[in-house]
Amino acid sequence: MTVWTPTDDGYADLSSHDTFEQGAPHNTFKRLRDEDPVSWTEYEGGENYWSVTRQADILEMNRNTAVFSSARGIRMEDQSYEEYLARRTFQETDAPEHMKTRIKVAKAFSKPVIAQFEQEIGTLCDEILDEALSEDSFDATKTIARELPMRMLGRILGLPEKDLPWLVEKGDALIANTDPDFTDHVLDKMQTDEFRMMPFNSPAGAELYLYAKDLMAQKEAAGDTEGVLHMILQPDKDGNTISQEEFRNFFCLLVAAGNDTTRYSIAAGIQAMCHQPELLGQMQTGDIWATAPDEIIRWATPALYFRRTAAQDYEAHGKTIREGDKVLFWWSSGNRDERAFDAPMRVNLARENNRHVSFGQGGPHVCLGMWLARLEVRVLFQKLAKRISHIEADGEHKFLRSNFVGGIKSLPVRIKRA
Amino acid sequence: MNVTWKLPDGSEISADVADGTNMMEAAVANNVPNVIGECGGSLACATCHVYVDEAWVGKTGSVEDFEDAMLDATEAEREPNSRLSCQIVASDDLDGLMLIVPQA
Repeated sequence: MTVWTPTDDGYADLSSHDTFEQGAPHNTFKRLRDEDPVSWTEYEGGENYWSVTRQADILEMNRNTAVFSSARGIRMEDQSYEEYLARRTFQETDAPEHMKTRIKVAKAFSKPVIAQFEQEIGTLCDEILDEALSEDSFDATKTIARELPMRMLGRILGLPEKDLPWLVEKGDALIANTDPDFTDHVLDKMQTDEFRMMPFNSPAGAELYLYAKDLMAQKEAAGDTEGVLHMILQPDKDGNTISQEEFRNFFCLLVAAGNDTTRYSIAAGIQAMCHQPELLGQMQTGDIWATAPDEIIRWATPALYFRRTAAQDYEAHGKTIREGDKVLFWWSSGNRDERAFDAPMRVNLARENNRHVSFGQGGPHVCLGMWLARLEVRVLFQKLAKRISHIEADGEHKFLRSNFVGGIKSLPVRIKRA
Repeated sequence: MNVTWKLPDGSEISADVADGTNMMEAAVANNVPNVIGECGGSLACATCHVYVDEAWVGKTGSVEDFEDAMLDATEAEREPNSRLSCQIVASDDLDGLMLIVPQA
């Protein structure tokens, strides 16, 4: 049995957020990979774009930053240059600016430094599971998946515990800005351009900025120089510091990225456990923990795509991508590419050589938080598998309304405690 | 050129590598364990860390700024002969190169 079967007719509108309320349109992605792997895609809300759908092409193009620039936006929506400048983070820069920022925090997010959080993550998971598993049926996204990533990020950034629920809410409003369940300012239905200079075109961006500014002022007053936020404010070796605007956007990026990507990986893993019952047994007995986190993250693909913009003409599969064209790398499709993965529509926790692209592998913007994500996913599922003897779906799961964030926002499950 | 990777268990993998190919790409193509290259060779991940055999340290070039910063983010301990293998590019001068793969 597969975890779920895509229902799109093979010709879904990839630009429509509504399409993704049924889950990613994998029949459409499969048709594109087979028939038209670099495909000109219509977008009613702005300029049309190219969709790249095969894993090998994504890896090849993602590393080619001379052609595929991040410095004109990373989402499908068009931005004016002034909007881009006001809202950009280091995700939206190319070399060498990108690396100048990234190296300030690279060590803090490196594998050995992140590994030191294992025990703390375990303690958090125990607390979360104590609460969640006290019921026989519950929404696993809300009670498990939503809790862990933000509480852990709060620890890493040194944020007060009491602020975390508010930050989760604002993080959701930022990144799930096309789903009316998470924001009153639905991006593609907004009647105002009041927020266009704010991160993610969202009023939550302004609130988060004020929060970060106050927080840093308090930390400075208290002489607190711990943590990632302090690091990013330090001058580089040439004495350059980041601007207030860049700091605001960096903070918003951490809150947005640290909040819901790991959440939706955890949710997708729990969803898979409901529909492939052998997974729980493998987690309980098998030696799959070296490979399982990446497989769960492949299966989830929380970032469905990232966009680049062609800085020069480029030929691929008989098509000519022109300078200035938008190009979307559909990680979601690359991760289901039969050319790269055996039985891609099944979760195989023992999958070896898993060259998935959920973290944007193959290029300089590969996920900064990937070691934290893998560790959180591993520890959470190790703990969960020990504490239950059975898990099943208890009603239909619901996907987020977004063609950018792939997530199960509601996941009713029923469990038996071990 | 020919390159040999010495693995933590003492075994070795050797391969002929075309000029211009970097040692991360060569390692991935030859299934050398624990040389991963998540960022495709753009100095953003430190997952292609190797130790250069002492005899070859002088010939493999110097460590630039960004590589230096990323070498502080490796999983295995940084040593004076630590390099990110994506920054070592195959050429005739390096024929016979020996790289030591860290313990996972």
